[in-house]
Amino acid sequence: MLELDHVTVRFGGLTAVQDVSLRMGSDQVVGLVGPNGAGKTTLFNVISGLVRPASGSRVLFDGRDITRLPLHRRARLGLGRSFQIPQPMHELTVRENLIVAQRFGAGRVDPQKIDRILELMELGEQAERDAANGLALQELKRLEVAKALATEPKLLLLDEVLAGLETLAKRAFMAKLRELHETLGLGILIIEHDIETISSLCHRVAVLDFGQLIADGTPGEVFSNPDVIRSYTGAESAETQHA
Amino acid sequence: MFELILQALYSGLLVGGVYALIALGLALTFGTMRVINLAHGELVLLAAYMAYVVESRLQLNPVFAVPLAVLVACTCSALVYLLVDRIRKNRELNSLMLTFAIGIIITNAVLLIFSGDVRSTGSPFMQDAVQLGPLFSMKSELGAFVVSLVLVLALWQWLSRSWYGRAVRAVSSNRDAAKLMGINPAKTELISFIVAGALAACAGVALYSSSVVHPPLGHALTVKAFIITVLAGVGSVPGVLAAALLLGVTEAMTVTLWSSALQELVGMTLFLVVLLVLPNGLFGSAKRRG
Repeated sequence: MLELDHVTVRFGGLTAVQDVSLRMGSDQVVGLVGPNGAGKTTLFNVISGLVRPASGSRVLFDGRDITRLPLHRRARLGLGRSFQIPQPMHELTVRENLIVAQRFGAGRVDPQKIDRILELMELGEQAERDAANGLALQELKRLEVAKALATEPKLLLLDEVLAGLETLAKRAFMAKLRELHETLGLGILIIEHDIETISSLCHRVAVLDFGQLIADGTPGEVFSNPDVIRSYTGAESAETQHA
Repeated sequence: MFELILQALYSGLLVGGVYALIALGLALTFGTMRVINLAHGELVLLAAYMAYVVESRLQLNPVFAVPLAVLVACTCSALVYLLVDRIRKNRELNSLMLTFAIGIIITNAVLLIFSGDVRSTGSPFMQDAVQLGPLFSMKSELGAFVVSLVLVLALWQWLSRSWYGRAVRAVSSNRDAAKLMGINPAKTELISFIVAGALAACAGVALYSSSVVHPPLGHALTVKAFIITVLAGVGSVPGVLAAALLLGVTEAMTVTLWSSALQELVGMTLFLVVLLVLPNGLFGSAKRRG
């Protein structure tokens, strides 16, 4: 469904992402991990269209080259995204955020589906509230996912959507994500720092370090990889220390 | 004295309604594109001169100029958008220079074509007096006020209920988030410039019908619209209406109680006082912009 083909991003003299190639299908939940500044969010920005990659890079979605496609057209193709810092459309109510996303992203209006998303994301009570005022961080994070869901995506990009949540809230949110993946057949690419979360949620994990993809595999394989341990935690693995 | 104050209050409210139309256009384009269109007052001026053309050449009531004025002002507003949209670097600053230059070009074109003479409607029907108790106004002033209120309410409804109205609010709230929801920002911005042009057209015909127009008026109207937008706080249609009425009343009171020479000064003073005391405007919220 999603294919990144030799993606490189440069900001002036700084190479934020270097020659990253990655594939994922709609039947997968893939975790994207790495230390701060590894290029995870930049890669999300490339996929969603906020950042244009260097020449030679290609982003394909459902077999179509979307490298030069504007953001709004990518959203209409089925790419949904949440931001690390919630970005509600604050002049609209919570419900309006969703119906605008559905009307322009999915190209149709289905109030019952909006109600189901509000219920699923536990935003029913806040539905008529102005998104600018009175929403707690957890609610804003749920609104981020709800907005993306309203566009009826095939692939959901979640940028640290679990960060800052209490353990119980995090578990509940993870259960919702699993449910979304299983019931809607939604592919999920998620940036997350918590290894335990990634291990229990994802089928596959890709690790970025200094903009390069250093590992890609099952959580078990990746988190026992000495390169990953070295770059991600700064510690040496037992095997490496022995050697 | 009391009747004089009451009359000033009434006259101020009537002119404030037209100010609201002008300011809403400026606020709309600023909201969606983060660009202050310094040629907005000149669009109103163009529309006012279309009313003059229709009345003087075709011998028709200036109200019949509305379709022509809408066509001219919307086309010019769309052209302003297309030019601003081509600016890739430092758009907020460079667009100020660009739209200021467009305003000067329009003012000078009007000056060349129509001369610098002051123009106003000669229609006896529009100039007839209407009495409401102790209060007097011209028919055209009352008509312009009523039409302005209707248009402000229509705009409010459009922004609240229509899909593209909601898209305008979404882009105004958060451009990137709106794009990720599938909204085409370029189309939304163009629509907001065309709607602003239509509002400017109606305001221009209303001004010509109820007041006097002359080429330098465009710049003064842009300044008033800017003052009102800042007074209201960006993002509030009722706020813009209230701020416009406040400015109209303050100006009328100043002219009645002190001197007409202080009319422009009082608007700027009000603007500075509100900025000092309430930096988010009278109706803006600090939370709105996150």
